[in-house]
Amino acid sequence: MSELPVYLDNAATTPVDPRVAESMIECLRGVHGNPASAGHDFGRRARALVEKARAQVAETVGARPESIVWTSGATESDNLAVMGAARFYADRGRHIVSAKTEHKAVLDALKQLEREGFSVTYLKPGPGGIVQPGQVAEALRPDTVLVSIMHVNNETGVVNDIGAIGKVCRERNVLFHCDAAQSVGRVPVDVMAMNIDLLSLNAHKVYGPKGTGALYVRRVPPVGLRPVLFGGGQEGGFRSGTLATHQIVGMGVAFELAKAEMEKDMERLRDLRDRLWQGLSAVGDVDVNGDRDQRVSNILNVTFLGVEGESLQFALRRLAVSAGAACSSASEESSYVLRSLGRTDQEAQSSLRFSLGRFTTDADIDIAITEVQREVPRLRQIARRA
Amino acid sequence: MATPAAVFYSPLVVDHFDHPRSVGRLNDADDVVAAEAGSRALGTQFHLSARVVGDRLSSVHFEAYGCPHCVAAGSWLTQRLKDSTAEDLQRWSWREVAEALEVPAEKRGHLLILEDAVRRLAEAWQRRV
Repeated sequence: MSELPVYLDNAATTPVDPRVAESMIECLRGVHGNPASAGHDFGRRARALVEKARAQVAETVGARPESIVWTSGATESDNLAVMGAARFYADRGRHIVSAKTEHKAVLDALKQLEREGFSVTYLKPGPGGIVQPGQVAEALRPDTVLVSIMHVNNETGVVNDIGAIGKVCRERNVLFHCDAAQSVGRVPVDVMAMNIDLLSLNAHKVYGPKGTGALYVRRVPPVGLRPVLFGGGQEGGFRSGTLATHQIVGMGVAFELAKAEMEKDMERLRDLRDRLWQGLSAVGDVDVNGDRDQRVSNILNVTFLGVEGESLQFALRRLAVSAGAACSSASEESSYVLRSLGRTDQEAQSSLRFSLGRFTTDADIDIAITEVQREVPRLRQIARRA
Repeated sequence: MATPAAVFYSPLVVDHFDHPRSVGRLNDADDVVAAEAGSRALGTQFHLSARVVGDRLSSVHFEAYGCPHCVAAGSWLTQRLKDSTAEDLQRWSWREVAEALEVPAEKRGHLLILEDAVRRLAEAWQRRV
C-alpha cells in the first residue's frame, strides 16, 4: 500500500503541532547550555526556557511551577509517583488502592511493590469502566498510604470522577496519585480543586514531543518521594539527569496550546466522533465499550460482534487504529481493560479503538466509515455460519 | 492497548483475503457433501461444502471465521480441492497450504483445523457412497 493510512490513533500518540515543532527547533538551534549550569549565560538561558515551560505546564493543571518535576514521560512519572511515594511512606503503612483498568505503567509498578511486601487492592470498575468514589472509600484501610486512579482510561476514554476520589482521599488523609496521560487538552485538570497530590503528565499525547513528561508533586504541605533515578540531584533530588531543554520547551508550548484550544478542539471532535459512531453502528451488531456519557470526546472503542479480531484489523489496514490484540501466538492476549468490563476474549479481540485528534479531518471520518461499512459486512459474509 | 507483534502476510494471503474465491455454502442436495471443524469460541472455524460428480469434487465452497491466514487458506483450498477424489482428501495435509501461502509457524495450528474439516468432508462423502 503506497498511501499512508488514515491516522485515528491519537490516544497512542499525537502528531507534533507545527507550533510546538517551531519552538523546539528554535531551541535546538540557539540554546545548547545545560540548565543546571547556573554559572554562565549559556546555562542561564537554558534554565530560563525550562522555567518558562514549567510555568506553562503548571498553569495548565492549576499547579505552582515549583511543584512540576520533569521526567521522560508518563511511564516514568507513574513509576516515580507510585513507587516513590509508597517507599517513602512505608513506615506508615504498606497498603495501596488502585484499579484493574489502570495503565501498565501503574500496574507493573504496583507489582514491583507487591514483591517488596506491599499489598494492593485492585478495584474492579462497573460495566461502564468507571471507578466509583464509594469503592475507593470502602477499600481504604488504616494502613493505606496511597491511592492511584487514572483520570481518563486510555482504551475506552471513560473519565473517572477524580475530584470526588480526591476528596475521599484528602478526608482520610491518604495520598492520591492520578495518571492524567490522556487528560490534558481533553478534560479540565486542576490539581488544587481535585485534591490531587501526585499527577502524571506527558507531552506526546498533547501534540508535543515523545520522550518527555512531568510529575506534579504537591509542595504545600510537601509530599515525600524516594527517587527511582539517582545522580546529579536535579529537580530537587526527585529526578536526577540533565534536563532535555528542547523537549521541555516543546511540552510547555504544547500544554499552553492544549489549554487555550481545548474547548474548540473538543467541540469539533465530539461532532466528528458522533458522526463516526453513526457510520460504524450502521453495520449492526456493534457496541461501544465504556460509559456512554462520562467519556472524553476523542476516543471511541467499539466491539464488532461476529468478526474475528485479527481479520478485522487486517481488513481495516487503511485505518491506523489500535486493536484489542493480535492472534499470533506471541501476543494472543486480549485487552485486560475490556475483559474487566465484562467482554469475552473473543469480543475484546474484535474491538478497535478509534481516537481522534486536532488534525483529524472530516475526510478522515468519511474514509473510516466507508472502510468499515465495506469490510465488516464482507468478513461477516465470509464467516456467515462457519 | 496491546501491542500486537507484526504478523507476516504473503502476497498470496493478501490476494485471497481481499478477494476470496468460492465463499458461501452449497444448498443441501443429494450430490452435495459438507463438513465443519473448529469453533468460534476458540477463534477458528471452517465450513466446507462440495458438489460430487462421479468420483470427484466438481466445486468446493468455504466459510471461515478466523485470522487472515485462515480466510486465505479456506479460499485457496476451494481451488485446490477441485477435481479431487475422496482418497486425495484423506491424504491432504495442512503443510501444502502452509507452504503455498507462506503461513508463519505460529499460525500453523489454525491450519490443522482446516485439515480436520477436509478429513470430515472425506468421511461425509464416504458415508454417502
